[in-house]
Amino acid sequence: MNARNYSDQLAKEMNLEEYLTEQWRLFEQVYIRKIMGFSSIGLGYKLKMPIIGRLLRRSAEGMIHSESKNRKAFRADGHFGQVIPLEDAKVILGGLAAEPIIENYCMCRWMQRGMKEACCINFGVLSGVIEKLPRFIPENTKLRLDREEAMERLEEHNRKGYVATVWFQPVPYINAICSCENPECGGLRLRQSYGLHTVYKAEYVVEVDPDRCQGCRSCISLCQFGALRFIPSLGRALVDQSKCFGCGLCRHACKHDALAMVPREQVATSKGHY
Amino acid sequence: MVRNTITIDYTKCGEDGKVDPRKCGRCLRVCDPAILLMHETIGREQDPHNPSYWRITPVWTDLCTRCMKCVESCPEGAISVS
Repeated sequence: MNARNYSDQLAKEMNLEEYLTEQWRLFEQVYIRKIMGFSSIGLGYKLKMPIIGRLLRRSAEGMIHSESKNRKAFRADGHFGQVIPLEDAKVILGGLAAEPIIENYCMCRWMQRGMKEACCINFGVLSGVIEKLPRFIPENTKLRLDREEAMERLEEHNRKGYVATVWFQPVPYINAICSCENPECGGLRLRQSYGLHTVYKAEYVVEVDPDRCQGCRSCISLCQFGALRFIPSLGRALVDQSKCFGCGLCRHACKHDALAMVPREQVATSKGHY
Repeated sequence: MVRNTITIDYTKCGEDGKVDPRKCGRCLRVCDPAILLMHETIGREQDPHNPSYWRITPVWTDLCTRCMKCVESCPEGAISVS
């Protein structure tokens, strides 16, 4: 929650307008282009190759987290994010996020499903960049939002079952809060299917109160990560905290106040596992 | 290890085919693991800010379950899985 990471000043110092324009202009090609001789086509097979697979994994992690001066926009170097619960996302949109705030078509759903859904909230210098790219401009919803509207839209998406994520683009500049799905999200895809750290888990995990849970199973359908299940013998839901990303979506479904977020660091088995 | 090979006939679907994947996109939506990806055709863009040539590439092929739903859903019969 460092305000400087959201500031126009940082974007200016890093000269990011050009970088972000190139990144967003070519975004759908990121998995197709060859990078040092490798594209992401058949990534699972490539990562399983002896030696080469390990080198590939290391260089991919390096690119994802790159803070180097020669990072490349066309491969989205330094672009990674973290899952956040709605409350934290609202704190960002309510104050930290630099204006203007826009809501544009999600790039991931477009390239993975051919669907245009306005649910990607971007801010700061990135807003101006995206406004120049017609394929991301929503037709039936407002492009520019004020802080209140942005918070309302995000809550709408969150309640619908989309996971809120906040993104470096590129690190340490923060300029997006997405509403993601697994496996459509490019970041969650690399994390969940290939174990690359494009998206980190939130600072929380969910806990089920066994006395309050009535076993209605509503929460289970909202979990994108398979962390919740229903146990018939106990007649209640239980959570696998090693799978929980801490997005907090399940709470929207619970009518009995049986689900609570606890800090990840307080749970012995989840501590340090992001 | 048997690898999945998924091929798309770009003379039927894509920048030179009858079907524009941006308008169809059936295969993208029937695939549970979402292994297909739609993108601008590399090297064919005229307006880099508003590309008009698009095609589909099978990217996450190792996750393909060979359910053949994409093959069945394609109106042009452009996809083959082996």
